[in-house]
Amino acid sequence: MTTRTRRTDHAVVKQLRATLGGPAQSALAHSRARVARWLTDQAPLIQWGEMSSPLGKLYAAVSGRGLCAVDFGHGEAEFLERFHPRARLEKNPQSVERVMAQLSEYFAGKRSRFDLPVDLSTLTQFQKTVLEVTCRIAPGEVWTYHRVAEALRRPRSSRPVGQALARNPVPIVIPCHRVIASNGALRGYSGGSGLKAKRWLLQLEGAFE
Amino acid sequence: MALRFEELIERHHDEIFAYVWRLLAGDRSSDRKTEAEDLVQEVYLRAYRNFSRLRANTNHRAWLYKIATNCAYRRLRQIHNGRGKVAALANVAAAIGSASDISASQREINRGVRFLVNQLPAKQKACVTLRYLQDLDYPEIAQVLGCSQESARANVYQAIRRLRLALEK
Repeated sequence: MTTRTRRTDHAVVKQLRATLGGPAQSALAHSRARVARWLTDQAPLIQWGEMSSPLGKLYAAVSGRGLCAVDFGHGEAEFLERFHPRARLEKNPQSVERVMAQLSEYFAGKRSRFDLPVDLSTLTQFQKTVLEVTCRIAPGEVWTYHRVAEALRRPRSSRPVGQALARNPVPIVIPCHRVIASNGALRGYSGGSGLKAKRWLLQLEGAFE
Repeated sequence: MALRFEELIERHHDEIFAYVWRLLAGDRSSDRKTEAEDLVQEVYLRAYRNFSRLRANTNHRAWLYKIATNCAYRRLRQIHNGRGKVAALANVAAAIGSASDISASQREINRGVRFLVNQLPAKQKACVTLRYLQDLDYPEIAQVLGCSQESARANVYQAIRRLRLALEK
């Protein structure tokens, strides 16, 4: 009896599938295109590219506002992980051509400052201010975390300054590597191979022997 | 790597469209395709708004189905409140009648099955559609409908039983 019922149920399911069927491929394609168009209008576009550098594979990304990410010494997946999951990511070397050209000149010792619009919209006001102050540090020069805090008129904020620098989304372009501890120690660097990369950059700029 | 919103479209758009299209089988509006398209757009719009708040271990497929179920049933309620049952039956009959490649008796059976499916209680219809037409397993169905797995099984069982008994008559 149970077997018979099961067989009959199977027939009901078969009938159900045959009757209700599914939508036509053209209907699916039409709807898929419509949703994709909507997402194009809705979601921010992040375009990115990569290049070889003395610090390893270097990635850079731009949003509609400007350069929004630079990373090196890490893998592609780790680089892309940082972007908001709602953003549309598009590998487009042309979009970062200008960035890569300036970085190449920097690595070749032919450029010390960058002329690029930078998008810091994901940062807090304090983090932005810290990075703006950091841009004032000339190549070949180093400041202490304390000096940056003083420049912000918050002399007791050396630690928050360090935390803000660790959040710098565009290392090298905003030279957070030019900030070191009061005792002369390099202290920390989140880019590439960490302190090794920081030392290399400072040596390139002539701040360290 | 965390799932990106774009991937939700690539991976699940077609099945979500098919799901709402099937749920709208009893829709009285003249263009089920357009209606399904509008609903799928709404599903993704809602999903987009809430995407950032999802936990890392969320089952995105079940989550999308849940949104789709809510959107489709809200739409069906609007339609139901707006028009009479007579129009519904007339539309279903017209839709079936337009398929000329099937025999008259098969057409009759199909009409009967469609009618019966549309007469099922909302939860039974959703359960049976999710299980046998969308191929979701019971833990996923339970997540989609916010019920226990036992309840999902019971609803599928009841739906199939109703259909079987009606077809045997």
